[in-house]
Amino acid sequence: MKLLIIEDEQALRENITTYFTEDGNICESCANLSGAIDKLSNYNYDCVLLDIGLPDGEGFEVLDFLKKTLKDEAVLIISARNSLDDKIKGLNIGADDYLTKPFHLAELKARVASVYRRKAANSNNIIVFNEITLNLLGRTVEVNNIPIILTRKEYDMLLYFIANKSKVISKNAIAEHLWGDEMDMHNNFDFIYTHIKNLRKKLLDAGGCDYIHSIYGIGYKFKA
Amino acid sequence: MKLSAHYNKASIIITISVLFIGAIIYFFTINYIAKNQLDLNLIEEIDGIKNYIKVNNKLPQQVDFDEDLVTFVKTDKQQLKQHFFDTVYNNPKEKKKEAGRAISCMVLDNGNNYLTTLIVSREDTEYLVQIIGLITLALSVGLLLTLFITNRYILNGLWKPFYKTLAELKSFNISDDKTLSLKGTKVDEFNELNDTVQSMSLKAKNDFQTLKEFTENASHEMQTPLAVITSKLDTLIQDETLKAEQYEQINDIYASTNKLARLNQSLLLLVKIENNLIDDIELLRLDSLIEEKVKQFQELITDKQIKVETHLSTKEISASKYLLDILLNNLFSNAIRHNTPNGKLIIVLDSDKLIFKNNGLSHALNVGQMFDRFKKGNRSEGTGLGLALVKNICALNNWKICYYYEIPFHVFQLDF
Repeated sequence: MKLLIIEDEQALRENITTYFTEDGNICESCANLSGAIDKLSNYNYDCVLLDIGLPDGEGFEVLDFLKKTLKDEAVLIISARNSLDDKIKGLNIGADDYLTKPFHLAELKARVASVYRRKAANSNNIIVFNEITLNLLGRTVEVNNIPIILTRKEYDMLLYFIANKSKVISKNAIAEHLWGDEMDMHNNFDFIYTHIKNLRKKLLDAGGCDYIHSIYGIGYKFKA
Repeated sequence: MKLSAHYNKASIIITISVLFIGAIIYFFTINYIAKNQLDLNLIEEIDGIKNYIKVNNKLPQQVDFDEDLVTFVKTDKQQLKQHFFDTVYNNPKEKKKEAGRAISCMVLDNGNNYLTTLIVSREDTEYLVQIIGLITLALSVGLLLTLFITNRYILNGLWKPFYKTLAELKSFNISDDKTLSLKGTKVDEFNELNDTVQSMSLKAKNDFQTLKEFTENASHEMQTPLAVITSKLDTLIQDETLKAEQYEQINDIYASTNKLARLNQSLLLLVKIENNLIDDIELLRLDSLIEEKVKQFQELITDKQIKVETHLSTKEISASKYLLDILLNNLFSNAIRHNTPNGKLIIVLDSDKLIFKNNGLSHALNVGQMFDRFKKGNRSEGTGLGLALVKNICALNNWKICYYYEIPFHVFQLDF
């Protein structure tokens, strides 16, 4: 996947670039609006990560530009503004998703994977990961062509893990993904363990490999 | 009371008092003048009598005096001062008792002193006073009526522009895009008022806009560094050579960052609520929202082995879904966080109230500052903004929230 990261905060830009590049994606980045327009008029990308507050203008102009030049990059807005108006405006003029800062890189990756899948022309709504097959439309999972029944949380978790395969994901990030960031989990993530345990058991019982590894004290890793 | 009613009241009271005092003065003046006139007549007549006696050397006959009554009484007194007095006498012509005005004096005839009393009728003057009184009364009533009608209709008409401005102001919403449209009137004062209101509303709108921008900027300035910290940590934990202790440290940073992020969000949300920036009002089914929340908090509930009891009746409510969500999140979160293991959480929803009851500390909490910002129990790990948010959301919707301790339950009651 070829990504363009438009973000003026250098540290954040670099972290996103690193996180996505490790996975074999090609990432380019720029820190301002003019640079972004420049890159977008010369090259094609699969997905654009767009910060709204840029030093030389509003990120919305990138959306306008893409619309005008009939480009169909998937766009994910990453904004510090948690304002409903902005969210609606962004989605109305062509963005595919809206993520409010601060966010976990794992969450960003899962969202990018999701908008990319939706936008990709050859989308068949099936994700295959070794022996595991996920049908996104029916929200069903097969391991070695044998259907297994997952709860909603387990299914979401599996999808999240596959999007962030080979990454260490903090319990914090998993909790926020599954329960939303508005719910205060009281920093008590013990119950995540229950869901992980069940998911792992179901996958193993269906003859899948043991992908989910616990990283002591911090979280989990889906080993590819 | 309306302005016109106030004005009516004042003007009618003043008019009536002035008319009343005026009438009294008027009455006495006319009476005084009429009496003077009568007295003058009496003096003239008594002079006539005296002349008659001087010329004819005898007392005049009774018949010579029309309706007047003159009496001569022989007296031994030598001196009597001429004086006037009111009296009642028998009118010789009309044969009835009448009010009269009398003069009394001494006349000398053939060496005899006579006490002479001349009485004239006061009927005519009294009749005149009555007629004048009636006319005055009729005029007063007419004046009052006219005043009343004028006040009522003309005054209302005059104040019409004011009421128009008032109606415009009532429908004024600072977070709306549309500005006030106040038309010019014929009255200078109202034009001035409209101009002032217009410029004030513009200023308020501008200030509001600035505040909104400030809120957004503050949010932006704090969210970005938080995003950097989070992403740095996310990157840092990818290094699997880290020791368990280091992971522990990172975990703590995660927790603090998470708390900081939530604190920031809550503060911004408070500002937004206080400025009424959230107005996505829709009709919601509160009972089903609560049921969803119970499911959403299931893990936390099971984790503490809390027994949840719900008694929900169907209740529709007009509110912002977003804010109602936050309100319920905070109520649930508190009721679970401060609950005892194996405790109870009872939720009751009626048509007019919502009650959250939970076990917890074995004594009542300090109600006074409970809903203030950053006031939290010693053992609370929350942001300290949860109940402040609850209170503000309730205030925004004109609901009433209160806390009380009902052994062994801590109760939060929300009255719609």
